[in-house]
Amino acid sequence: MPTIETERLTKRYDNHRGIEDVTATVETGEVFGLLGPNGAGKTTLIRTLLDLLHPTSGSARLFGLDSRRDSVAIRARLGNLPGDFSYGPPSLTGREILTLFAQLRGVRGLGNAEQLAGRFRADLDRPIGQLSRGNRQKIGLLQALFHDPELLIFDEPTSGLDPLMQEEFLALVTELRERGKTVLLSSHDLDEAERVCNRVGLIRDGRLITVERVADMVGRSYRHVTLAFAEPVDAAEFAALPGVSDVASKDGQLIFKATGDLDPIVKAAARHAVRDMQLTHPTLEEVFLTYYTDPEARR
Amino acid sequence: MSALLRRGLLDRHRALIVWALSIGLTGAFFMLVWPSIDDSISQALDSYPESVKEAFGITTLSNAEQYLNAELFSFILPFALAIFALRTVASAIDGAQERGHLDVLLSAPVSRRRLVAATFAAVAIELAIILLASWALTCLGSLVAGADLDAGLAAAGYANVWPLAIFAAGIAMLVTGVSQHAGAVTGVAAGAIVAMYVLDLLGRLSDSIEPFRWLSAFRYYGTAAVDGIDPLAFAGLTAAGLLLAAIGALLFERRDLAG
Repeated sequence: MPTIETERLTKRYDNHRGIEDVTATVETGEVFGLLGPNGAGKTTLIRTLLDLLHPTSGSARLFGLDSRRDSVAIRARLGNLPGDFSYGPPSLTGREILTLFAQLRGVRGLGNAEQLAGRFRADLDRPIGQLSRGNRQKIGLLQALFHDPELLIFDEPTSGLDPLMQEEFLALVTELRERGKTVLLSSHDLDEAERVCNRVGLIRDGRLITVERVADMVGRSYRHVTLAFAEPVDAAEFAALPGVSDVASKDGQLIFKATGDLDPIVKAAARHAVRDMQLTHPTLEEVFLTYYTDPEARR
Repeated sequence: MSALLRRGLLDRHRALIVWALSIGLTGAFFMLVWPSIDDSISQALDSYPESVKEAFGITTLSNAEQYLNAELFSFILPFALAIFALRTVASAIDGAQERGHLDVLLSAPVSRRRLVAATFAAVAIELAIILLASWALTCLGSLVAGADLDAGLAAAGYANVWPLAIFAAGIAMLVTGVSQHAGAVTGVAAGAIVAMYVLDLLGRLSDSIEPFRWLSAFRYYGTAAVDGIDPLAFAGLTAAGLLLAAIGALLFERRDLAG
């Protein structure tokens, strides 16, 4: 049974768009990435799953339970981290916040909060009003995880975290996946999703454009290739290769886009003295562009 | 509910102390000055038109209870505690929503009904604490100044404010059921309380408005510091406040939380 199932889930507001006809499943034990630019509808989808928003039409089931009727039972089995965590008056410490949530969840003590606090270097005894956004986010992360829930929902969780903590967070998500936990991870960072997600759903203008394995998605879209040679190289040689487009020559470098198999490019480059080679993944916007312009990708 | 209730009380304990001290010291001040103005204020009152005295429920000022009723219980205290109650409700629900705190709280297995019940219970306890502390400070003021205040009637006067403030909290909860903004909740609920006060006041002065006085909570407020508590009015106002809060909770369950 999937942990999350939505069937034509729609949320419309009076004055702006929410989500439209979202049908998707998140399998148990899967890390599912919800990718989209800011304002695409990721947070609306998450808040509808959590019953903070009520759907205009369609339905959502979590653990096989109805997201509206069984909301309290569902929320007992999940942990949620919003994009900018904050709770209570500024004088409240992380420990006091976690104590409250432990009581609300019927958990004795603070679960694995101390161990997680050590791992993420979270200060549990400072008032939350004195913490930076990143350090508040760590308290929020502990709040979502301390009771070891079956489902974790992270809405742009790494915003505000420094690079080291972002790495630690991604390592944690990988561990959660290995332990069979289900994770719904909303992000606008394709690299982040590529590292930890089994599958990703692209959401734009409130609609789920596609759901597929992240490697397939990245593989389908082009990469930016920059080749620097010791001697001038004829650009036409590379322009003729399959999957290569937009070739430009500049300062002894060839810059082009490549889709599909990179082997012919590597072999063509090997015939020359290569000084440097760079391969850059497309930005999320560029991936979206692929789905808007390539009928094959949309299928 | 007890965890939410306890947390709510702890989070607002500083505000609670400030309110209790402010009101209690005001009551004590009135008792400290009463012996020195006892005669002059009675003479001043005699010069007021009967209709005005009747409208404000002040016919004589011959003892400390009547003075306290005129100065504190007829206007300042019911309005102050009504504002305290409705602001506490607005801040605890819509204010928390605006700060993003409800998204976190309601991700835990907490029903919205439970949140409303805990908020309402906390407001009821906080009001009782403020009133109790204020009564004690007022009695202390009387003792120091020799104002000869009847502690029982003073207790009735203070206790009588509780159902009116609970009613104000009920209005605030009702508005919370449909509004996503703490400012709107405070404004609408405070406006309703002021409108009820004016309606009651005008109803006492005008025969044509008098038939509508039943719509005002102040119609049932009375002068407990002089006449003692009317148990029916006390229970009725409390029940009306609880009913409004219950309707508000149902509406709150049915609406979206603003992001």
